[in-house]
Amino acid sequence: MTEHTCKPSAIRTTVLVCASALAFGACASVPPPKELVSARTEYTRGEQGMARTLNPAGLHDARVALDKAEAAYTDDPSSQRTADLAYLALRRAQRAEVEAQTADWQQRQRRAKDNALHAQAKAAGEARTELADTKQELAAERDARAAAESRTRTVLAELTAAHAAAVKEEPRGIVVTLSGSVLFASGKAALLPSAESSLGEVARAVGAEQDKALLVEGHTDSRGSEATNQTLAKARADAVAAYLITHGVPAERVTTAGIGSSRPVADNSSAEGRAENRRVEIVIQTREAR
Amino acid sequence: MRTTWLQGMGLLTGLVGLAQLGACASTSEPTDRLVSAESAIRAANEVGVSSNPNGQLHAKLAQEELAQAKRLIRDGENERAERLLWRATADAELAIAVTREDQSKRAAMAAEGTVTE
Repeated sequence: MTEHTCKPSAIRTTVLVCASALAFGACASVPPPKELVSARTEYTRGEQGMARTLNPAGLHDARVALDKAEAAYTDDPSSQRTADLAYLALRRAQRAEVEAQTADWQQRQRRAKDNALHAQAKAAGEARTELADTKQELAAERDARAAAESRTRTVLAELTAAHAAAVKEEPRGIVVTLSGSVLFASGKAALLPSAESSLGEVARAVGAEQDKALLVEGHTDSRGSEATNQTLAKARADAVAAYLITHGVPAERVTTAGIGSSRPVADNSSAEGRAENRRVEIVIQTREAR
Repeated sequence: MRTTWLQGMGLLTGLVGLAQLGACASTSEPTDRLVSAESAIRAANEVGVSSNPNGQLHAKLAQEELAQAKRLIRDGENERAERLLWRATADAELAIAVTREDQSKRAAMAAEGTVTE
């Protein structure tokens, strides 16, 4: 029989050619499954998009999956296995792109946080500088005040030493007491010429405390009517205040009060006591002048 | 002689057929794949796919594929079941990726102070 005379090699060649022809025919005639078409498109998109730079590993996985699907399509284009492998390739490609987008958002978030931190640090730096400036200003102010107080105390100490005035500290402030007999003639409110040297020193002393309010109080002894004493006390306080103002103390720092005989510092029954009670007190108040 | 040859061929064909049948029947249950798919679906739920429509869609697909694969395993169609489990895993993983992308987007926009919702 003729078929038995065929050489095995000839049969093999024939079978291979037929198989190739069949496979080629199949590939040419069976369109790729929609999953494979989508996988190819999705992979190309990933390759041209962010995945190339932000997720190369994911894109590589997608390539491997796509190659498997293509091989399956070549082997058996219409099989369910080919469609399944193409489905996997599609999902891998989609995942690669989505993960690349995630990486992009994460980078943006990091950048935004860095910027915020940078801005925060800058603001903190500025605040620190401002605080340091403020501290410096406060320190300078404190030093200036201390220097002024020191000057005042020096002058007041000189006043005390020269017996021109008595100085004492009270809760309401530093009180400079000037004897009424040194400043005024009896029953008068006009300053004696001899008072001017003492008052000049006082004006210099209280003028040094630039921001402190001054209260000038007139006091009398208990002789005479209260109304007369109060009027006289007020007039004397005003006279002293006027002197201070004309000698450099800002008027807005100065207020006056006629106390009269209501706050004696000594016994009014003796001549010495009454002399002590006739006085003008200049209070360098603890509050600042407005 | 010819009869013997034909008988031999018949026997061989039968054996090959049996072997093929045996091969099909002996494809073992895709237990590992099943575990992977279930674990991917669980992970998707933990990531919060329910907050993202796209993620939710892929997670749902994964669950359906998993259910179908289980039915196929019961019917002994392990090979087809295994490939469905591939799909289920891939869908669950995409659901996770999509959800994370959405979360990262929101976080970035919030950080940039440009939330557009």
